[in-house]
Amino acid sequence: MKAAAFRYHRATSLDDALAVMADDDEEVRALAGGQSLVPLMAMRLSRPEVLVDLNGVDALAGVALDGGHLRIGAMTRQRDVERSPLVAEHLPLLRTAIGHIGHVTIRHRGTIGGSVAHADPAAELPAAVVALGAEMVLASTGGTRVVPAEEFFDSYLVTAVEPGELLVEVRFPLGAVPARHGMAEFTRRAGDFAVAGAIVLADVAADLTVRRARVVPMAVDPAPRRSARAEELLVGRALDDGVIREVAAAVAAGCGPVDDIHGSAAYRRDLVAEMTRRALARLRQGAGE
Amino acid sequence: MTGTRHGHEPGVGGVGAVVRRHSDPALVTGHATFIDDIESGGTLHLAMVRSPFAHAEIKGVDASAALDLPGVHAVLTGAELVRHAKVQPVGWEHIDNQRAAPTYAMAVGKVRYCGQIVAAVAAESRALAEDAAELVEVDYEPLPVVHSIEDALAPDAPRLVPEWPDNVFGSQTYGNGDADAAFADAEVTVSERLTFGRQFGCPLEPRGAVATWERYTNRIELWINSQSPNRVREVVAEVLGVPVSGVRVRVPGIGGGFGSKANYYGEEILCCLLSRLTGRPVKYIEDRQESFVATSHAREQRIDVAVAATRDGVITALRGHIVGVLGGEISSVGMGPVWLSAVSIPGPYRIPNLELSVTGVLTNRTPYGSYRGWGAPKATFAMERIIERLARELGVDSNEIRRRNFVRPEEMPYSNGVFATLDSGRYEHCLDLCVERLRRDGWYRFREEARAAGRKVGIGVAAFVESTGIGPSRVMARLGIAQGGYDEAVVRMDSTGRVTVFTGQTEMGQGMSTTLAQLCADELNIPVDQITVVMGDTDACPYTGYGTGGSRAAAVGGVAVRQATGELKRQILRVASHQLEVDVADLEIADGLVQVRGLPGYGRTLADVAYAAYRRLTDVGEGTTPTLQGRAVFDPVALTYANGCAGVVVEVDPATGGVTVLGYVMVDDCGTMINPQIVDGQLHGGCAQAIGGALLEDLVYDRNGQLLTTTFMDYLLPTAMEVPPFSTVHVETPAPNTPGGMKGVGEAGTVPGPAAIAAAIDDAVDDPAVFVRHLPVSPEQVYRFCNAAG
Repeated sequence: MKAAAFRYHRATSLDDALAVMADDDEEVRALAGGQSLVPLMAMRLSRPEVLVDLNGVDALAGVALDGGHLRIGAMTRQRDVERSPLVAEHLPLLRTAIGHIGHVTIRHRGTIGGSVAHADPAAELPAAVVALGAEMVLASTGGTRVVPAEEFFDSYLVTAVEPGELLVEVRFPLGAVPARHGMAEFTRRAGDFAVAGAIVLADVAADLTVRRARVVPMAVDPAPRRSARAEELLVGRALDDGVIREVAAAVAAGCGPVDDIHGSAAYRRDLVAEMTRRALARLRQGAGE
Repeated sequence: MTGTRHGHEPGVGGVGAVVRRHSDPALVTGHATFIDDIESGGTLHLAMVRSPFAHAEIKGVDASAALDLPGVHAVLTGAELVRHAKVQPVGWEHIDNQRAAPTYAMAVGKVRYCGQIVAAVAAESRALAEDAAELVEVDYEPLPVVHSIEDALAPDAPRLVPEWPDNVFGSQTYGNGDADAAFADAEVTVSERLTFGRQFGCPLEPRGAVATWERYTNRIELWINSQSPNRVREVVAEVLGVPVSGVRVRVPGIGGGFGSKANYYGEEILCCLLSRLTGRPVKYIEDRQESFVATSHAREQRIDVAVAATRDGVITALRGHIVGVLGGEISSVGMGPVWLSAVSIPGPYRIPNLELSVTGVLTNRTPYGSYRGWGAPKATFAMERIIERLARELGVDSNEIRRRNFVRPEEMPYSNGVFATLDSGRYEHCLDLCVERLRRDGWYRFREEARAAGRKVGIGVAAFVESTGIGPSRVMARLGIAQGGYDEAVVRMDSTGRVTVFTGQTEMGQGMSTTLAQLCADELNIPVDQITVVMGDTDACPYTGYGTGGSRAAAVGGVAVRQATGELKRQILRVASHQLEVDVADLEIADGLVQVRGLPGYGRTLADVAYAAYRRLTDVGEGTTPTLQGRAVFDPVALTYANGCAGVVVEVDPATGGVTVLGYVMVDDCGTMINPQIVDGQLHGGCAQAIGGALLEDLVYDRNGQLLTTTFMDYLLPTAMEVPPFSTVHVETPAPNTPGGMKGVGEAGTVPGPAAIAAAIDDAVDDPAVFVRHLPVSPEQVYRFCNAAG
């Protein structure tokens, strides 16, 4: 398990990294926390010719409140996001989601940008950024563009990032999405990738009527996406057990899981319904008080 | 160190004392030396070209592009190997009609499992060797794959060994009494077909070897993380045609073995051979992905089990038919573990009529070898499951069935007429203690309260015996096992009075060096910290017939150390007797002195006696040989039987099928305990593996013979988060045939847990239609159990 030969470039600045990434002739990969890329390279499933190490680019790390956004640099460690007071105040879901990622040791190394750009549909952060309506800031030598999370994830491990581009920041619009959240996932062991999971956001009135809702199932589609049908079923109705069951069934009916060694598609469909139910039940706890 | 109980003073750290493990300071500070730390100048690194096909003919291998790469020194293929190496011996040839399936260190002409070695590349670095391995072009002609038992036994099945009429490696039936008559006359019969999944030892440190074939002396120095250095030495000599004395095997620290490193493999042969061909030291470190396809698999069996009984629950007959899913080549233990499962099914029970059979079939899977517990976890799974089935049929508590059928202490030694002679143990007492501990820990009350609240909590119990302390050499030879079961030990006192124990046993994290030192300390009545244990060098250390495995290190190796220490003690006393002019019978060792009994303080220090024995021979009698050294060889007269009972508490989440192990009681009778803390540690680790085996670990193949689980994301080991606190209870019934009474504890933890967890899940689901028949049981399966109607 030794990686195929590659050229290693330790970037000293964002411009430096982008200049290397602009090389059209070679396959360039950016190294963030290395929690997924390094094993893939060791197994020679990923064989970049050039590896641009971003770990020396301090400007890419940090959490900042900027007008209507919370901006998190792509190289911010998951553990730093998890422990950020700004995140706790403005994006409690993000904190909850990161708590499900692997173990603390992994979160010390893994970055928010690395996980988002890797785009594993069973991972927590891709689902969370879709739920939170985040914007992905992509930079290249040609400039910067912003891609909404819902347009960012194409398929399993495939994103909107073009060759030469780098995910430099994840930007969360504040107040644009509902405030309450609920999350549930089923894993074989503590810290594993989800067999199935669900993230829900909702604003709930005192009488439990749902004003706004966002529902994102996990690990049951090639890429994380909102369940429009589930959201429709929620909005304008009181969050009672019957509605929750209806919504859970809609999520299950609308997703496209596949078989793997941890569970069949049919089982995953049942599981995602149960996880949706649990996520909504958690969201409801303390609501309406 | 805490108190002891064998007459020597506190502080000695003898038998029964909790002594901190000598190996731990280096381990916990990261200073231990493992195989990958061994590297001398000029070492070449091996990478293997492994077959991507489960079954194929090798039409040709073109290594020219690999050899052209600068830094690549050699590429070895099977065609070349056979010019230098004989077939790998199979140590276990104990089935009457066992066939020969010549297996070489690497594939020759044909591959029979994914991951089999097709070529070995030696280069200046491992990365370069892997680059070169990718350039080796192999022309495969794929053959039909034998995926399963059903495939293997089908009349028109493709055959793995074309010269054979079928894919059966061996098959044998063992009987006692008249099972047919007993079943025909029975008031009640029950039967089940059970299956156990494919799993393996999976030590955190994979296998590795570093070989230097000395050009001028023609000696091989082989570093290897093996549990059985003496066996490896003999195999290397046999395969490569050199004298045994021409091979020195050295073992550094071992990062876990679990039996998988007790087998011998082709990789070490390839290291030796490539060292000879290149003139350089050659190192191979199995990487994690390789370990899943290259280290022996284990456990996978299909078990048909049935009992006949009276309405009172007295079992009158047992039938057990086991088919073991062997791999595409035969490992060093043949079908030994499968055989042991079959003959061990009767367990702790008195069953007069037995019909037990074993069949091993070849499939296109990784070879089947040793894993902690060997045959016992499956045998216990079979017996304890059928007892649960009988209990349901009769409407009585399964523990009541156990009680009615246990062999009682006054009936021992009890031979079941097939294999086991149960030597000692209080099986019902162990069951009582298990139930009592479950009750005392509050689990029965917890279950009732949880159930009242709508939760699915269950408790399962399983009793077991396991043959330990392998083994009587003459019995092993009669069985067709090409190794002795004895151990040699040498114990020396140096000229300053310090003691060194030399043993063929190995340290692999189980604390063996500490345990052996305690036995020596106990015999000499000197503090354990004055004793050094040297292991892992066949040039320096004594011979062991079988190595470290089969729960034998303490029960056999320990006895040899104790006996060698006894001989050393006699020499010490003889010298002191001459010095003090006191009869040997009147001397004792105490407080660092050889002193006259009844006259504390009147004597010579051990240092003085030792100095005299080496350096001041005027002090030593004329007829006494200088130096102080004891040597002993211990060959047990019989196997012994560790035994006990596990009680496991689980909660099932019916909405997900998730199973959480909440509580785990392990009652174990390993005979005399040398170090209770080490005994506990051994049980804890084994119980964790039982949880993995029952709920998580599964080597899954697809129909094409591709292994789907080759990372830790897919092959799920239990972590600290899946393992509950263990509640251990000790019973010490000394082994009657083992001087010192030890039975062995290395494997016990793995044995009853799977059966107990299966029973606990049944109990939690609490549905007469649900019965766990396959392990590991997945959340999806448990979900189906809970939602059968849906």
